[in-house]
Amino acid sequence: MDYDFTGCGYSEEELFSRVDHNDLESEKITAPRYSYWHSVFRVFFRNKLNIVILAVLGVLIVFAYLYPMFIEYDRYANLMDAESKHLTPSAAMEKFGYNIHWILGSGGSGQSTFDAMWNGAKISISLAFICAAINMTVGVLVGAIWGFSKKVDIIMTEVYNIIGNVPYILFISVMVMLFTASFWTMVMALTITGWLGIAYFIRTQVVIIRDREYNLASKCLGTSTIKIAVKNILPFMTSIIVTLLATEIPSYISYEVFLSYIGMGLKEKSLGRLIFESESAMVTPGWEFEFWSPVIVASIITIVLYVVGQNLGDASDPRTHM
Amino acid sequence: MLKYLFKRLLHGLFSIIMVVVIVMILIYSLMNRQLIFASDPLYAKRLNNAKYTYRYSKWEEYGYLDYVTYADYLIDLTVKGELDEETRKSAVSFGRTADKDTDIVKEYVAEFTEYYESRGYTVERLDAVMINPKKVADGGQQQLYAYKDIPLINRLVKYFTRLITVDNVNNVKDDIEDRGLTFTLFDPLYGGKTFSPAIIGNGTTHKYLLYFDNQFPFIHQNLVTINLGTSYSVNMGVDVFKTMTSPQGSFVLSEITFPTGFTEMSADNLHTATYISGSMTGNKVNEDRFDTDYTNVDLFRSGFSKMGYSFVIGIISVVMSYLLGVPLGILMARKKGKLLDKLGTVYIIFIIAVPSLAYIFLFKAIGGSFGLPTTFNMDSASKLMYVLPIVSLALPSIANLMKWLRRYMIDQQNSDYVKFARSGGLTEGEIFTKHILKNAIIPIVHGIPASVLSALTGAIITERVYVVPGAGNLLTEAINKYDNGVIVGVTLFYAVLSVLSIILGDIFMAMVDPRISFTSKSR
Repeated sequence: MDYDFTGCGYSEEELFSRVDHNDLESEKITAPRYSYWHSVFRVFFRNKLNIVILAVLGVLIVFAYLYPMFIEYDRYANLMDAESKHLTPSAAMEKFGYNIHWILGSGGSGQSTFDAMWNGAKISISLAFICAAINMTVGVLVGAIWGFSKKVDIIMTEVYNIIGNVPYILFISVMVMLFTASFWTMVMALTITGWLGIAYFIRTQVVIIRDREYNLASKCLGTSTIKIAVKNILPFMTSIIVTLLATEIPSYISYEVFLSYIGMGLKEKSLGRLIFESESAMVTPGWEFEFWSPVIVASIITIVLYVVGQNLGDASDPRTHM
Repeated sequence: MLKYLFKRLLHGLFSIIMVVVIVMILIYSLMNRQLIFASDPLYAKRLNNAKYTYRYSKWEEYGYLDYVTYADYLIDLTVKGELDEETRKSAVSFGRTADKDTDIVKEYVAEFTEYYESRGYTVERLDAVMINPKKVADGGQQQLYAYKDIPLINRLVKYFTRLITVDNVNNVKDDIEDRGLTFTLFDPLYGGKTFSPAIIGNGTTHKYLLYFDNQFPFIHQNLVTINLGTSYSVNMGVDVFKTMTSPQGSFVLSEITFPTGFTEMSADNLHTATYISGSMTGNKVNEDRFDTDYTNVDLFRSGFSKMGYSFVIGIISVVMSYLLGVPLGILMARKKGKLLDKLGTVYIIFIIAVPSLAYIFLFKAIGGSFGLPTTFNMDSASKLMYVLPIVSLALPSIANLMKWLRRYMIDQQNSDYVKFARSGGLTEGEIFTKHILKNAIIPIVHGIPASVLSALTGAIITERVYVVPGAGNLLTEAINKYDNGVIVGVTLFYAVLSVLSIILGDIFMAMVDPRISFTSKSR
């Protein structure tokens, strides 16, 4: 029977209409398609702040990695020229001409502070990324095993108690004394015990999730331990691991600065080394740029990496995907 | 509970011993031992063979190896009675080269070589270095000695048995009368009339074993001494523990009456007198003042010890950070998502992400522009110089406390007990202070002993930046100067503190939260 409702003030769309049975349509699953990583990035880019920060990170990476490739940086090029040392930006630009090298003035051996800063940033960022990659990989793997096996737990906890009490700088200084204080020595020194803390953190998380009901159910149904680890626990850990990474990477830059400051850092002119060498410039009028520019770049790098990592960590938590 | 604690302490002890083992392996086996001479002016002056023997004797002193010279060996034999003085004298002067030895020397050199080589020593003979056929070069005298690396186990046992020494009336080797302890209620140093109990020893290393004075903590003892390890380059020949705990700064003079009745303005602290054999007779200064060989005294100084400065700065900043960090963390949790929370988060990110060196310099620059002193001066009476180090130490720990307390409180907010309390009609304020805080504060309480005890160890960067004469730099200084004794000692000290703070933290936590029990009977 046809009723005419058009007279009642309803438009056509608001009315019920007849839907016929369709075999093809009924075979489709109606839930929206869900892709984990797609959702992670959707949530991540929903926050406009993240785009800005990623752009800053991009600029930093370009300056740290591409800029030194296109310039000829020789720290001691102006060493013999006494008048080129410790210049303010304006004085340096007057002396050397108006280009990007001298916008931060010159340092103690007549080098460009701007170029020195980006060379240092390259070394520091590389160190942080390599150390984080090694420590995270080893730490997560060991931590997963540590959390799963009760026997390993007893041994590893004891090892952790012992190694954790040996001062970190002692390991590093012994490494530095055994080999020279080169980049790879520093990587080795920072990773030889660095993974232990991460492994311990992951172990605690694994222990918390391991005995949840759904894992017990999975175990009862005969799922293998490896499959439980990879399919049931790892997805839970993704956001934790990303958040951990966000604190780890800046911490290596920070640690490298600290080590250089106490005289145990790299021989290469990393950011930490630059800060250490120009410490006296902090209080000398007219020399401030030499000190503050590496400090500020180190701070910006660490803050940017930290914020990106934290927000990525938040985004990788499936509960935020709604 | 007691049994559990005992077990924990044993575990801690095991960890501590293992830490010392690892550190010993690191510094005695892995590091280049030649480096210890880097800052030794005497070593640079030695020439030729004397350089070798000096090196071995120093390595022996600092525990690397066992070193015996041929002359020592002969003296040892004489003491044992296997050799008479006449033969020793003729046997001791061996030739410039091996073929110039006399028969009797040859016999004893062979004996010496055989004796030590059978015990795993390396025997070395250095021929004399000659300028011309008649004259021996400077330091070029012929040498004969044996040495052997000390095995780790021996070194470890020796270290731990020497760790704590108790003063004993037979410590003084000289022939002295009336060995024994005297207990007096009237300390002779105060004229023998004021009431001040003291235990005075004769034959002990220290003269005063127990005494009272007007300095904190008022009662002092010299009976038990802790020897963490002797310093080589940081504080030549002084024990690490003493380096950390003895006062610094300029001398404090006062009217002092010496045991002979001699009175003068002096900084000598007579209570710290220790025995030095034969130091009184033949020394005019000591003869005038002392009546026994207990002449080696420490001096009164105006400043705190290294550990004292670190602790004063550390403990004030700890108190400050708890007083500020806890309320701020609570406020952030209550005003979640509001302006205060956002400001707090920015501050936390700043502290976590910016290298600690950078923000300490920033605080220094800001503080300096307000006219606060940026360097520490022990002789200055001004208390203002403490401000910046304390603030620099407190600000990061405030951020840390805020971060965790906020996290814990927000996690607790969704608990059933909070919903129940709310449905029961409690105000938000009551819920926060009486219910959520009590649960959220538990993990914070766990960290209190650690933060208090770590105030003793000092802070590396802060103390360096503000030139505070504290204990924080001891380890880095020791590493830079290759001072093995100090490295082992400081590491042991750190390890003990860290083990203690974890155990104390657990006890604190169990006291605050009655649900936590360390006995397994409930399961």
